[in-house]
Amino acid sequence: MKLMQNSFRRPAPRAVLSVILATLVGGSAVRAADQLVPLDIKLPSPAFKGTPKDIQLSSYVEPLSDKPRPPMMVPAGLKNVAPDAKISSSDKNATADILAKLVDGDKEASDQSIFYLRKGTQWVQLDLGSPQEIFAVVIWHAHNAAKVYHDVIVQVADDPDFIENVKTVFNNDQDNTSGLGVGTDREFFETHEGKLIDTKGVKGRYIRFYSKGSTESALNEYTEVEVYGRPAK
Amino acid sequence: MNRWVALALLAALALGAGLRLARLERRPLHNDEAVNAIKTGELWNTGRYVYDPNEHHGPTLYYATAAFNRLTRAPDFNDFSLARFRVVTVLFGLGMILLLPLIADGLGRRGTAWAALLTALSPAMVYYSRYYIHEMLLVFAALLALGGAWRYWRDRKVGWAVVAGVGLGLMQATKETFVLSWAAAGFALALNLAWNRYVDASAAPRRAPPLNRRHLAAGLGAWLVVVLVLFTSFFTNAAGPLDSIRTYFPWLQRVGGDSPHLHPWSFYFHRLLWFDPGKGPPFTEGLILALALLGAYAGFDRKHLGRADPNLVRFLALYTVALAAIYSLIAYKTPWCLLGFWHTAILLAGVGAGVLLRKLHPRALRLAVAALLLAGAAHLGWQAWQASVVYGADRRNPYVYAHTSPDVQRLVQTIEKLARSHPAGKQMLIKVVAPDSDYWPLPYHLRSFSHVGWWDTLPEDPYAPVMILAAGLNAPLDEKKTHLMVGYFELRPEVFLELYVELGLWKKYLADNPPPPAPE
Repeated sequence: MKLMQNSFRRPAPRAVLSVILATLVGGSAVRAADQLVPLDIKLPSPAFKGTPKDIQLSSYVEPLSDKPRPPMMVPAGLKNVAPDAKISSSDKNATADILAKLVDGDKEASDQSIFYLRKGTQWVQLDLGSPQEIFAVVIWHAHNAAKVYHDVIVQVADDPDFIENVKTVFNNDQDNTSGLGVGTDREFFETHEGKLIDTKGVKGRYIRFYSKGSTESALNEYTEVEVYGRPAK
Repeated sequence: MNRWVALALLAALALGAGLRLARLERRPLHNDEAVNAIKTGELWNTGRYVYDPNEHHGPTLYYATAAFNRLTRAPDFNDFSLARFRVVTVLFGLGMILLLPLIADGLGRRGTAWAALLTALSPAMVYYSRYYIHEMLLVFAALLALGGAWRYWRDRKVGWAVVAGVGLGLMQATKETFVLSWAAAGFALALNLAWNRYVDASAAPRRAPPLNRRHLAAGLGAWLVVVLVLFTSFFTNAAGPLDSIRTYFPWLQRVGGDSPHLHPWSFYFHRLLWFDPGKGPPFTEGLILALALLGAYAGFDRKHLGRADPNLVRFLALYTVALAAIYSLIAYKTPWCLLGFWHTAILLAGVGAGVLLRKLHPRALRLAVAALLLAGAAHLGWQAWQASVVYGADRRNPYVYAHTSPDVQRLVQTIEKLARSHPAGKQMLIKVVAPDSDYWPLPYHLRSFSHVGWWDTLPEDPYAPVMILAAGLNAPLDEKKTHLMVGYFELRPEVFLELYVELGLWKKYLADNPPPPAPE
């Protein structure tokens, strides 16, 4: 397409091109005596595309991978301690009845199984009653469509305000827009398997799950969380 | 034309403009809109357009936009707003209300007023008026051809033959599916003549003066001039007119089954009459169909038509049925194709509303039904707002089809910010890789970046400061730890892109964009 090709030929300021050159050669040494010349990058133009295929609404979407998730090895005798936890949330509109869905064992993709928290960075929090040694958590935001949740952060702490002994066990907020630190974990697709996080026996009484909307909506959906642990010694 | 009808047209125009122009930028750019925008940009920047018989329809949309841009002294293409493109189709959508006086003596006064109101408020008409694709121009050109032909049939003046010829030429130069409209019109014309001759001879129209060959030649000449001028790109592409015929080979392939757009016969009616996928308002334009059926019946029955002409009403009824049948029988379907037959259904619905109100006695009942019809029209307007603004890119909207997700705007904003953190700014190298060129509308959004490469498969050296990859490629470009995969972005429902950023650039980006205060 001419439009793009023409724009590629525009002369660039020398300083800018030097930076591009340095970037492209991956930091290889450039001798001082070498004369720098504009790098002629031949880039392919975009190819036009017809109307793409429409995806019909469906209540169930196949998981993106057809391979089962490999099992996680954990100490024997762990149990899901989430169902007995006291639940709270940053969204004060979410009543106790609504929040109870988080640990009711219903992980289906139906509307009845999902509840919503308002827009922006929101959290749900479990008070496990006593300090626990936590080896794994599983989160299902909503797997009714292929989507990716943003700023998924899981923290464990010793107090309900998350001031004392806060440990981050998962954080994929890579641009730190939720302000809890730069995350290094990858984003993931919501599937019926849920997101399994290895928490390596972290100790704490309170566990908090953050999110900030998805690729589909600014709202925050939650279906279920499970916390596998045992009383801390 | 009656003063009250003129006022009704103005009111409809105002309502239609309000619905069509509100928040034009809000809906993300659809794949097809982006392709049209880039082609328009090419014409605007280079003055060159060449008709492509394989894809992307005819030249009218691009030249109409170029004319609009010249009249409004448009800025550089890189500074175009989305609204600048969409206003063009809005103008054609509104133009259809302004064309109604051409057939006002065929629809009757009340019929014209109601047709104007329903054209202004129909959710389908409003939604696709705001959509930078060819369909609204095709329907506009069809109405221009109908108006010219109708006026010529009534007055036998050469000017109207020329108007009809221009309308037919514009139809052809807009979209290849004009042949379906022509076929439906031929069928309706023939059946209408047969009806007058064999079924209802007593009501045959007064014998019109014979057709004038000079007039017909003028009409044909106008058609030919429009087609030649536009398809040859103003006499710079000799192959254009031939390509406008060759185009049917690839199109026939798609109709024959080689397409992702194969849908059941009920596809259009499902969207128009009752679309309720849940978790949103149900959409229905059933009121228009009910009134159209009444209007069509009156065209054959010839009762309560008032000043409407049964010949035109019958023609519209037969044309609507034929065109709807053709589009429904063809397996290839995209929802905007429904506009062709839905617009004439709206004209019939205008007649139907007039018939209904004329039938009813006493006056109190008539007023009550008129109020109900106005409430129904208001409901259509409310749905038009919901479809066009609130659910503009949402799959719960019947007119949304393979639409770009709003999430793409987040991707574009991130890339814009990355460029501000990169020493080369908008000359920063960006590599985009997606099979089947499935990266649209990004070429539009990244048009101001001068170093963007587009690949269908992973290139030998895929690395760059910024890489955008189809998630389906499963390319682990962050394994070397020189780059980070910083997020998924939804291109369309269930189609995702991954954004990879060079580690150093990402650190600079984070430093330049400090986080907001932590939530409580």
